[in-house]
Amino acid sequence: MEIVVCVKAVPDAETRLRAANDGGTFDIEGVKFVLTGYDESAVEQALLLKEATPGTKVHVVSAGPPPRTEEVLRASLALGCDSATWVEMPAGVAADPVLAARALARAVAAMPHDLVLCGKNALDDEAGVVAGALAELLGVPDFSSVLDLRWDAGASRLKFQRATEAGTETWEAPLPCVVALQRAWNDPRTAKLPMILKSRKLPISKVAADPAAPAAGTSRPLKFELPPARTGAKILEFKTPDEAAQKLVKILKEEAKVFP
Amino acid sequence: MTGPTLVVGEAEDGHLSDATKEAVGVAQSLSGKENVVGFVAGSASRAIAVGFGRVGVARAYLAEDPRLEGAVGAVVAHLVAQAADAAGAELVIVGGSTFGRDLVARLSVRWNASVATGVTALSRHDGFLEVRRPVFAGRATETRKLDGAHAAVALRPHAFPAPADAAGEAALTPVPLDTVPPALWNAKRLGLTATVRGAGPSLTEATIVVSGGRGVRSAENFHLIEELASSLDAAVGASRAVTDAGWRPDSYQVGQTGKAVSPQLYVAVGISGAIQHLAGMVSSRVIVAINTDASAPIFKVADYGVVGDLFQIVPALTQEVRRVRGR
Repeated sequence: MEIVVCVKAVPDAETRLRAANDGGTFDIEGVKFVLTGYDESAVEQALLLKEATPGTKVHVVSAGPPPRTEEVLRASLALGCDSATWVEMPAGVAADPVLAARALARAVAAMPHDLVLCGKNALDDEAGVVAGALAELLGVPDFSSVLDLRWDAGASRLKFQRATEAGTETWEAPLPCVVALQRAWNDPRTAKLPMILKSRKLPISKVAADPAAPAAGTSRPLKFELPPARTGAKILEFKTPDEAAQKLVKILKEEAKVFP
Repeated sequence: MTGPTLVVGEAEDGHLSDATKEAVGVAQSLSGKENVVGFVAGSASRAIAVGFGRVGVARAYLAEDPRLEGAVGAVVAHLVAQAADAAGAELVIVGGSTFGRDLVARLSVRWNASVATGVTALSRHDGFLEVRRPVFAGRATETRKLDGAHAAVALRPHAFPAPADAAGEAALTPVPLDTVPPALWNAKRLGLTATVRGAGPSLTEATIVVSGGRGVRSAENFHLIEELASSLDAAVGASRAVTDAGWRPDSYQVGQTGKAVSPQLYVAVGISGAIQHLAGMVSSRVIVAINTDASAPIFKVADYGVVGDLFQIVPALTQEVRRVRGR
């Protein structure tokens, strides 16, 4: 099976967010970009499928600007992906999820792809649009909110669960398809030092962005705002647990007005 | 954009879902009540489509066919694009659900629409739409401009009021299915062996969430959290420490790699407040923290703090909530 995993470089969770000078996006000055969240889990899922299915190859693809995109591709190679492909895009263009999906589709269409894995959404823009748009561009079905993915080689079927508002659905589907993973591993594998060193020298295939692609999406950021800083909790004073409970309920009812 | 707005409906227990009604409310205030058209696709969805009339939508498209039961999202996207074109719509609005987000993703390509998901505010300007949406798990908000001939927007759940139900029936226009490319039917769902709905409100939809963390100390003690949640009709969440330890399943996890929640009230019990966790709950309206450690970071983001032993505070709180609510 040929598995393609799509990943995006996003700011590390510890990043202190600030608006950039243009006011429309966040300031990337000093920000560390990493492979994280659902994308990191998608890589983990791909490698687990590879281990369980002889003859499987895992190809990682990312669309975005240097140097962050190359860094997450090398991080994926260090984890055990077999090949990496980079569609270089200017930062502003890559920020539009539909244009990113179009760039990814161009690269994925040119490589063998039985199963295309994406994270549910990137942890920065949280659009969650790439998997569906990619499936539409590739002309294959897509399944979102997927929890648990197994390949039944005998039946030639993917078996998985989807978590939707209606509950948990159990599915089987033939390949090819696009799967957006909801499941996040809290302890995905970490790269071993020899692999990290080796990954620095591994080749990365570059795919030129489509010369006919638009320079800007039809969805553009205008403003990036941070909520007013929280000033810290009002700490309740009390002598007994009962007094604490009474005070809290009174506050929730009369001051915060959130008591049911 | 001056054409009608198409609202794509979703069913919930045989009626239009709350998320759909919220979308109807947004469409009506944006385009005018007369300028909103409904859409429903399903295997037995006539009554649901007619139900658009109850929230003031006079006309709805209906795609009804047994094959739509378990069809892939691409089929629905195809039919929505077709109905939107037939209606002369320039904007499609859908509720904030898994279905809605998937549909909008597909329409970005199939209907060549500029799209946004998780939208909390929407306004129409000269020739473009402006949307606001939380990003970075609620740590920031972005305003985006959507231009182009078509736009498709998925809302954030509970961000908008739903219009009140009244009497009324929408007049239906059938959507023909013969234009669906045959290959899309081949990609139909093969099996649905279980649909299990959990007890209590779901974590992402609940108006109150009570979460327990490492401070709860064991799986056996977690009933304290569940009893407090039950007294408040709240959903139960957990920090990563709890799901990692296997005290509760992964589906309980609130945080960056778990669920992002934004309830009216979030009660964090025995949770220190690692960034991982904060990323999933910091956009809650009111946050209460109960923790023995007065220097825990959770108190920096909480509105109200109780510094004390959760094993004493939580049972007292549960009892007080029950007393005040008379149950």
